Amino acid sequence: MLGEQRELLCEADSIMDEFNTGEETAFVVDEVSSIIKESVEGAIGGNAYQHNRVNQWTTNVVEQCLSQLTKLGKPFKYIVTCIIMQKNGAGLQTASSCFWDNTTDGSCTVRWENKSMYCIVSVFGLAI
Amino acid sequence: MDELQSAEETAFAVDEITDIIKEAVETTIGTSSYQHNRINQWTSSVVEASLNQLTKLGKPFKYIVTCIILQKNGAGLHTASSCFWDNTMDGSCTVKWENKTMYCIVSIFGLAI
Repeated sequence: MLGEQRELLCEADSIMDEFNTGEETAFVVDEVSSIIKESVEGAIGGNAYQHNRVNQWTTNVVEQCLSQLTKLGKPFKYIVTCIIMQKNGAGLQTASSCFWDNTTDGSCTVRWENKSMYCIVSVFGLAI
Repeated sequence: MDELQSAEETAFAVDEITDIIKEAVETTIGTSSYQHNRINQWTSSVVEASLNQLTKLGKPFKYIVTCIILQKNGAGLHTASSCFWDNTMDGSCTVKWENKTMYCIVSIFGLAI
């Protein structure tokens, strides 16, 4: 009796492992989106555009995003890009195209603004 | 000799890719002035042309191409990027191009499979 019970438990464990693996290795857009918003708010949340601080701000945003993403511990390579633009009436257009594995890789772009500037952050995650 | 050739074939060749980007940008917007209603098409054309040429290289890489076109209007723009990858095999390349009315910034990230 005991032997059979142990076998059933082992089977249940291996099924659970497969289910967990699927979730752990997907690119979760909502999770990444939250991480980005938090990083941007934290770095430039209450600030007005200042030319001599933009350099430091963009660096802070990408570094903050990347450290939070790596803490997720998923088997992904990440690319984080951040654009900060002064609100001056200029036209700006961005586009990106990716040659990757559609089933495992993903991207997420967040657009944030306040009265004096726009901030656009993109995160690309590529499965290893 | 085989090992040397394999390393060259599978490395991220920055010069080669810089040329591909410059060609794609010149062909798409080389002689144009900033026009708000065409900018959408231009950015799409630049990234698609770049990606086509890159995939033709036939190297074992995944690529990400981003393009920014900004009107010359005195606005301040700053971009930054950070990557969590394999330093030995992956690479990136950024090309800044301009004419009298606009700036174009194209970045390519190549990640070895």
